[in-house]
Formats: sequence, C-alpha cells, structure tokens
Amino acid sequence: MLFSFDPRISRLELPESAPPPPDKAALDQFPTYEVFHQRKENTAYVYVGPVHAPEADVAFLFGKEQFSRRFPCTGMWVVPTEAIRVTEYGDDQQSVYDRLPLLPADALTTADAAGLEAYDIFHLKKRGKAHTHVGQVQAASPEAALQAAKAAFGDQRPVVNVWVIRSADLLRSDDDDRDMWTTTPDKKYREAIAYKVQDRIDRFKQER
Amino acid sequence: MYGSASTHDIPTQAATGLENEDPILLAEFEARIARGEKIEPTDWMPQLYRKQLTRMIEQHAHSEIIGSLPEGTWITRAPGFRRKMAQMAKVQDEVGHAQLLYSAAETLGKTREQMLSDLVNGKSKYSNVFNYPTPTWADSNVISWLIDAGAIVNQMANAKGSYGPYCRALDRICAEEAFHLKYGHDAVVHMATGTPIQRKMMQEALNRWWPAIMTFFGPSDKMSVHTEILMRWKVKMATNDACRQQFLDMYVPKIWEIGLTLPDPNLRKNEDGVWEFSEPDWEDFKRVINGDGPCNAERIAVRRAAEENGAWVRRAMQQPQARYVRPLA
Repeated sequence: MLFSFDPRISRLELPESAPPPPDKAALDQFPTYEVFHQRKENTAYVYVGPVHAPEADVAFLFGKEQFSRRFPCTGMWVVPTEAIRVTEYGDDQQSVYDRLPLLPADALTTADAAGLEAYDIFHLKKRGKAHTHVGQVQAASPEAALQAAKAAFGDQRPVVNVWVIRSADLLRSDDDDRDMWTTTPDKKYREAIAYKVQDRIDRFKQER
Repeated sequence: MYGSASTHDIPTQAATGLENEDPILLAEFEARIARGEKIEPTDWMPQLYRKQLTRMIEQHAHSEIIGSLPEGTWITRAPGFRRKMAQMAKVQDEVGHAQLLYSAAETLGKTREQMLSDLVNGKSKYSNVFNYPTPTWADSNVISWLIDAGAIVNQMANAKGSYGPYCRALDRICAEEAFHLKYGHDAVVHMATGTPIQRKMMQEALNRWWPAIMTFFGPSDKMSVHTEILMRWKVKMATNDACRQQFLDMYVPKIWEIGLTLPDPNLRKNEDGVWEFSEPDWEDFKRVINGDGPCNAERIAVRRAAEENGAWVRRAMQQPQARYVRPLA
C-alpha cells in the first residue's frame, strides 16, 4: 500500500505501483463547445474559450464555472465547436472580407424569405485577441451568411478572421435568469486586495 | 500558477528538422512573428514549433493539476475558516488553469485524452517541485508564495509569446495569480512574525524547499541552435538563468526582511548586481524527475485514482453520436 505523509492519502489504500492503464478512448473527455461572455450590460459578447462537455446544457454549466467564477459577466452563449463556420486567417491590419470569393449570384437570391435563417457574426480584430460579436444577418446558408456579413459589416477594419454561427445553434442565457451572474460580496478572501501585510512586516521589523 | 518555462525534456542537441520545412512558408512564419503578430491554430507552423509548444503547454497544464494535490490536501487542515476558504479558492483556480491550458495545447493537435493518458503513464512530465512532500502547513505556504512567485516570473514572460491560444489562456491565468501571490505572502508573513514555534516551522519548511526552488527554472541553458530558434520564434521568452535571477532579485529581499534565512552560504548579490549561489544538485534533479523522488508514485497514483473513480460518470454522459473536433482558438 502507498504510504503518504498525508494520512488521508494513505487511507485511500492505493497500490504502491501498478502497470500503466491503457490510453483513454476517443471522446472520453467529450467534444468541445466554444463559450462567449458578455462582460457588462449592453456590450458585445466576446469569446472566452472552449469547454469539453457531453451536451450543450452541461457545456453551459462548465462555461459558467470555468469562465465566470472569477470574472464578472452578465450573459453567456455556448455553441458546439463543429457548428462554427471559420474563414481563413488574414494578417493583422487586413480584412479577410477582401479575399472572400464571390458566390454565384443565384446562390444568394434563390432563397425566398421563408428559407432564410438568422446567423450570428463574430470578428477577430487582432491575432491573439478574442472574437467579438458584431451582429446578425439573415441568410440561406453559412456561405451566404458570410457574404451578407461582408455587406453589413465589411466596412469594419481590420478583420483578421470571421466566425459564422447559425443563431439556432447558440445556447443563450436567459434574461430572466440574470441574477445567476450576481457574485456574492463576501468572497473578498479570494481577491489580492484582501491581503495587506505591510503593517505586520513593519511592526515586526521595529520590534527586532 | 505552477508552470515553468523550462520544459524538462528539451532536446538541446537534436536536429532542428528545419531543413525539411518549406523555405517560403518558414520565411512567412518568421516574418509574422518578427512583426509582432500572433500565430493562430490554423496557420502553417514548423514541426519544431508545434512540438515544442505542445510539450510546453501540456507540461504546464499537468503542473497545475499535480500542483493542486499537495495544496488540496491542506484545505481541511488549514488553520481557520478563512484560510480554508482561501486555500480552496486557490486550488479551484489552479485546476481551472489546467482546463484552459489543456484546451490551448489541444489546438496544436494533441487530444486531451492523449495528454491525460501521458500524464498517468509517465510519458509527459510536470514541474519537478511537486515530487516533494508538504509535511506541514508551512510547506504548503512555501508553495503558495514562492513556487507561485517563480511561476509568475515565467508566465508573465510567456504571455508575450507568439502562440495566440496560449496567450489568451495566460492572460486569464495571470489575472488570478495576483491573489495567489498575496495570499501566499500573507500566510508566510503570518508564520514568520508569529510565535517562536510558528517561526521555527516556517524556517524549516523554507530550508526543505529551497533546493527544489533553485531547480524550478531548470538548468542553465546551453545556448544551442535550438534555444536560439525557440527564442526567435517567441516560444521561449527568457533563458532559465534570466528567470532565476529575476526571481532571486524580487523575492530574496522579501524573505530576508521577515527575518528568515536561506540555507545557502554562497547566496549573495555581487557588485555587478548578479546573484551568486551554490549550484543546485542537478544529478538529484534528474533522478527525481525520472521517477525516483519521494512523491512521484503518490502524485501519479492519486491522479490515476481520481481518473478511474470518475470514469463511470464520463461513460454515463457519453453521447453515441458525438464527433471530435479540435477546439478553435
């Protein structure tokens, strides 16, 4: 049995050595979802990072825990990674919309209004920064949505990369649940500001 | 934050493999970094860049997970409710950092499943300091203050590196670190300025940890072609020696001002402002990192038990139609 300085580890009665386990099977850690936060009321949603989760509701919980435990937030969206249509990446200072191949005109016009769906558009302004929500367009496909985004937001510069997400694929926090983002004020002990030791050090030095 | 910029198995003498890379793509890649632009996951990158970054970020992630074990076991024994809460918040932060880092490493192509497997089967390393025990509360405080401080020196540098996803993760991580450092300092000051018994306990813990702390940044870099390339690519942002000097400069005075001593008679700052010290025992370092340390078996066994105990939950939640896609950014 494994002996540890820590009695609670000794009590686990773990074997002292064991042959290495087989490698984990694919998807043991689940697929990924990408998470966006709204940091303040009435500001754009910004990409914060991925989480691994078996389904959207769990991704939402993990996203809340992972990204809003320490940072204030007033809303959250999650989307399966595979539901995001990604353009190529351009250089800083450029716009990837400039390189967008034009679709045949009929691809954009054939869809009647009934076939249109909402798509959310996110821009990356600078490499190493985070994708930010710029707005919504109506289109019949992700490709058409990208063209529509160019028409609607193409004047913004620079645009290093664009993410196009069918709005129906985004799981969004509900406005009625706003209070779930309220953090309790009595957790000061996890802020740097709560630790002031200089007085104690000065007193100690004087006494010596 | 527990990461150390010195990856433990950096192949200093191995061929760089650059002769096999497309010279035009390589030139574009280097020009981008020279312009100060970040590399994003779908960009072309040399094999060496991908390999070294994967190794570095993965090792950093493992260090967060394993590093939270010695501190985690002190939550219930921390003196007082407030310290228990703070210690718990810190451990939660560290585990959260591991999640961010595994995802950043994953964008380079290695799956999270493979990284977690390689941690348990010993193919991947983690920061060697966690192969030493924390027999007292004071030992836990040394980790909270000085190991975190060492890691911060590294992380602040790495946050200016060239890989976008790693920078994004480090920005979040560094923001939380301010609390860890102050919390650790507060705990050490409390003991060092307390009763003679508390003071003695703190001094003994510091004596136990100092040799490990001096190895934290890794051996002196041999300025090989390899190191030169990794620094040009902004994978490695400062040499191990530069990090160690910066750490000594920032923290030795803070240790001395609370009347603690360091167990190295040769430790001093010379007239040129450079810290001199006894060379750490690198043979011992090598022996411990290769598995023969006081806590290697325990750390891996505990990690493995946690994995195995949670396996049924993951199995129960699996969706048969799930498909793997690499995280985007």
